[in-house]
Amino acid sequence: MTYSPIDRAATKTPQGVARRIRGLSDRTIAWIFVSPTIFLLLAVNIFPLIWTIRLSFTDYRVNRPNNEVSWVGLQNYQRILSDPDIWNTMQATAHFLIWTIILQVLIGFTLAYLINMKFKGNDLWTTIIVFPMMLSPAVVGNFWTFLYQPQIGLFNYVVAFFTGADPASFSMIGDVNLAPWAIVIVDTWMWTPFVMLICLAGLRSIPDSIYEAAECDRASKWRQFWTITVPMALPFLMLAVLFRGIENFKMFDLVVQLTGGGPGNTTTLTSIDLKREAFERWRTGYSSAYAVILFVTVFGLASIYVKALNKVKQR
Amino acid sequence: MAEVTLQGISKSFGATTALDDVTMTIPDGSFVVLLGPTGAGKTTTLRMVSGLDKPDRGRITIGGRDVTGLTPAQRDVAMVFQQYSLYPHLTVRQNLEFPLKSPILRTPQAEIDRKVGEVAEILQISHKLDNKATALSGGEMQRVSIGRALVRDPAVYLMDEPLSSLDAKLRSDLRIELKGIQANSGATLLYVTHDQIEAMTMATHVGVLDRGRLVQFGTPREIYQNPVSIYAASRLGQPRINILPADLFGSAPPGATHIGLRPEQIAQGEGQESVVQRVERLGDQTRLHLTFKAHDLITVTDAHTALKAGDIVRISPREPFYFAADGARVA
Repeated sequence: MTYSPIDRAATKTPQGVARRIRGLSDRTIAWIFVSPTIFLLLAVNIFPLIWTIRLSFTDYRVNRPNNEVSWVGLQNYQRILSDPDIWNTMQATAHFLIWTIILQVLIGFTLAYLINMKFKGNDLWTTIIVFPMMLSPAVVGNFWTFLYQPQIGLFNYVVAFFTGADPASFSMIGDVNLAPWAIVIVDTWMWTPFVMLICLAGLRSIPDSIYEAAECDRASKWRQFWTITVPMALPFLMLAVLFRGIENFKMFDLVVQLTGGGPGNTTTLTSIDLKREAFERWRTGYSSAYAVILFVTVFGLASIYVKALNKVKQR
Repeated sequence: MAEVTLQGISKSFGATTALDDVTMTIPDGSFVVLLGPTGAGKTTTLRMVSGLDKPDRGRITIGGRDVTGLTPAQRDVAMVFQQYSLYPHLTVRQNLEFPLKSPILRTPQAEIDRKVGEVAEILQISHKLDNKATALSGGEMQRVSIGRALVRDPAVYLMDEPLSSLDAKLRSDLRIELKGIQANSGATLLYVTHDQIEAMTMATHVGVLDRGRLVQFGTPREIYQNPVSIYAASRLGQPRINILPADLFGSAPPGATHIGLRPEQIAQGEGQESVVQRVERLGDQTRLHLTFKAHDLITVTDAHTALKAGDIVRISPREPFYFAADGARVA
């Protein structure tokens, strides 16, 4: 009788160990494999979350570790929700969120629709369009500050070219009225390709034969678009909105690079404001409450949205 | 209801020739079945008539009107797709209503309801009308897809293997229904299948396609009794025609290399000896698998035959077909 390497390895396992391993149930073994991940999740996700909630009821300041920490109850929450400055940042965030989503969905879907017409060289175009998405947000923020430069910026030059206005007469990131739009434009430039890719996946999931059936059923292109293309691509479109919504609620890097939250507070989005409260003013307890409020908001909105998404998918 | 003609239709996809100079006339009110194996050009022919694909060469007319350059909508054709092609986000009812809700038609809702109800009844899907199209079994989807064509009253119905994913009982029910609908309404119907039973039972005409060429066109009887080639002869008849060396039973006409024998062309009880290999009892008929001079052949005998494996049967050809080396019929 010959032994394969596996047999030999098995016989070399000490009897005691082998018996102990054999004695474990499948369930136990499963737990052994899963537990490191669970532990890691608890350590870096769940524990900080619970700790944040705890801190949000205190006046703890991380830069004064020797101060006595006292419980302040809901006082932090009260102060945040009644602070007009914070409502301003919320409004700035809402403006940013809503407009980036509207523009990215409209432009992204249109681009996907055009690319999906399968004209010659559409693959090359896809690659070119997707390019901005591959850049680092910090880099994008940085070079758009140059594009927005009133004297030498390409953006101002192009606008001037089409409108006839003096390029130096306006500053996208220096003007309180234009700055909120400046960040919308850059984010749209950077992330429309992402929405386009998801929409393209949606459009490509619709079999040609359904359009052919509609063609034989004498449905006009217009009717085909509204009764086939839109409903069948809608789940994908909604997914893109979800991704972009969550991402942009957390928007930080791009805007910090571009405007630093200014001028004034016009582009101070909530995450930028939060970072300042926590790590510039060091109001740890206060900013914890702030973080909890944001978390609940995003989580709540996302849950409602995902429910709607599932309903659409089941249609 | 209209006559459809194809005149010298050719179509290639890249290097492959899908159709090569196909000419055929589909008479008004006929039920034409295109028969052939996968890749013979059946579906391509259908798509040419529908307008979903345009021919490289040739003309197509429907009801005397040249439609070669027209869209499917302009041609007024109803098509049943092999892959169902239902509108997945709509209910069965909405799917069936879809073609009637075309703005060109302006069909009143009461008329739509009546039509949909009638078609659903025929196809046995009335109880599923409010289900989502995606929540159906394959057979139900295929029936909805047939229904979507039947609610209309087009110049010509085009059907691409519409019964292929149904179970045997439903298939035979629907064969009769389809034939009935077509015969009563006088609709022109072009139908693609590789199932010869469908061809034999429903067709008024059969077109046999071989690698993009129309090799024979005629009534099922004609093609069965007077095939132009081995290929055409093999398309119809169960058990299949036996193809043997021409001189196996004695002298053959000049030029013939093969003899073709359908079961009824093999006379039993006279002639030369053959050995029974297997007796296949199918109930209404019994098939005999014979060995004759080291060649296998299959024939049909009395359902209640007493023959068994190893028995000797004398056979001789009766009005056989003779074919040349290239498969063409010589006698």
